[in-house]
Amino acid sequence: MKFLVSRFNPDADARPYMQAFEVQVQRGMMLRDALLEIKRLDESFAFRHSCGEGVCGSDGVNVNGTNKLACITPVSELKEPVEIRPFPGRPIIRDLVVDMTQFYQQYKAVKPWLVRNDPMPEQEILQSPKDRDRLDGLYECIMCGCCSTACPSFWWNPEKFHGPQALLAAWRFLADTRDQATDERLDALEGPYKLFRCHTIMNCVEVCPKGLNPTQAIGHIKNLMLKNAV
Amino acid sequence: MSRKASGLKAWALQRLTAVYVGLFSLYLLLVLLFAAPDGYAAWRAWLGGPLVSVAMLLFVLAVLLHAWIGVRDVLIDYVHPIAIRAALLGAIGLALVALGLWAAQALILVRLA
Repeated sequence: MKFLVSRFNPDADARPYMQAFEVQVQRGMMLRDALLEIKRLDESFAFRHSCGEGVCGSDGVNVNGTNKLACITPVSELKEPVEIRPFPGRPIIRDLVVDMTQFYQQYKAVKPWLVRNDPMPEQEILQSPKDRDRLDGLYECIMCGCCSTACPSFWWNPEKFHGPQALLAAWRFLADTRDQATDERLDALEGPYKLFRCHTIMNCVEVCPKGLNPTQAIGHIKNLMLKNAV
Repeated sequence: MSRKASGLKAWALQRLTAVYVGLFSLYLLLVLLFAAPDGYAAWRAWLGGPLVSVAMLLFVLAVLLHAWIGVRDVLIDYVHPIAIRAALLGAIGLALVALGLWAAQALILVRLA
């Protein structure tokens, strides 16, 4: 099977270029296995990966124009030649390895933790099963970055727009009945950039390897903001 | 400049104006299809009616506001040098205000006639 892989060595190359590799594919082979095979052919080839089963979120790459997790993408599903590029819009460190600093900064900016004003109880903070259900589809995010790096709004304003991943996380804590910082969280999202750069393009929904829906979460935040404002 | 620029207000206004523009456009379309005034005098009389003229003025304002928010969004997305963005926003804002005043003048003249 023919693979075209984006290569870039900052010390040697002025710009990224595509290099062709022929990989012997086997039944059930995932794209990550093919990348490992390519690394065996050329050990200077760099890409991130770890768990190999769609849990750690390390091996997000752009495959034939779509962001995917290499480890859970069967090569049999891909059209030849398979073009593999780093996530779009991110500074390339080497080959498929990109700088995700801004992505993590945006995540940090939404304070992705429970905020309590009441004194902490002796035991756990109780939550009804129904309230707990509100977090389904929100907490499963593995922060692979497929969504935010597929988002045009994040491409244009990555230093100011939180991006779908961080906004999904923001809604995860706004939706949590144990959290007591709703007003502060909403105030922090006001202004034209952090939340409202989202134009409901929905690339994030299309690429999320976990099947999550950041666009819907962003819609919930906007509605809650509106409800609290009128 | 974006420190005080609004997010929620612009977003909500964009949706509100969209609803009004959509409904009034439908009304305009129905009038044109089924009850189109016959000739210039009839058009003037129709447009000069108290309800229609106010609704039309609101329609023009809604379109201009909607356009302003949309253009502002496009410029915030794509035009990052602050001086160029401010100049474009200023020019487009002035043009929209001029259009609004022009439409208001036309409607007032029709009312007075």
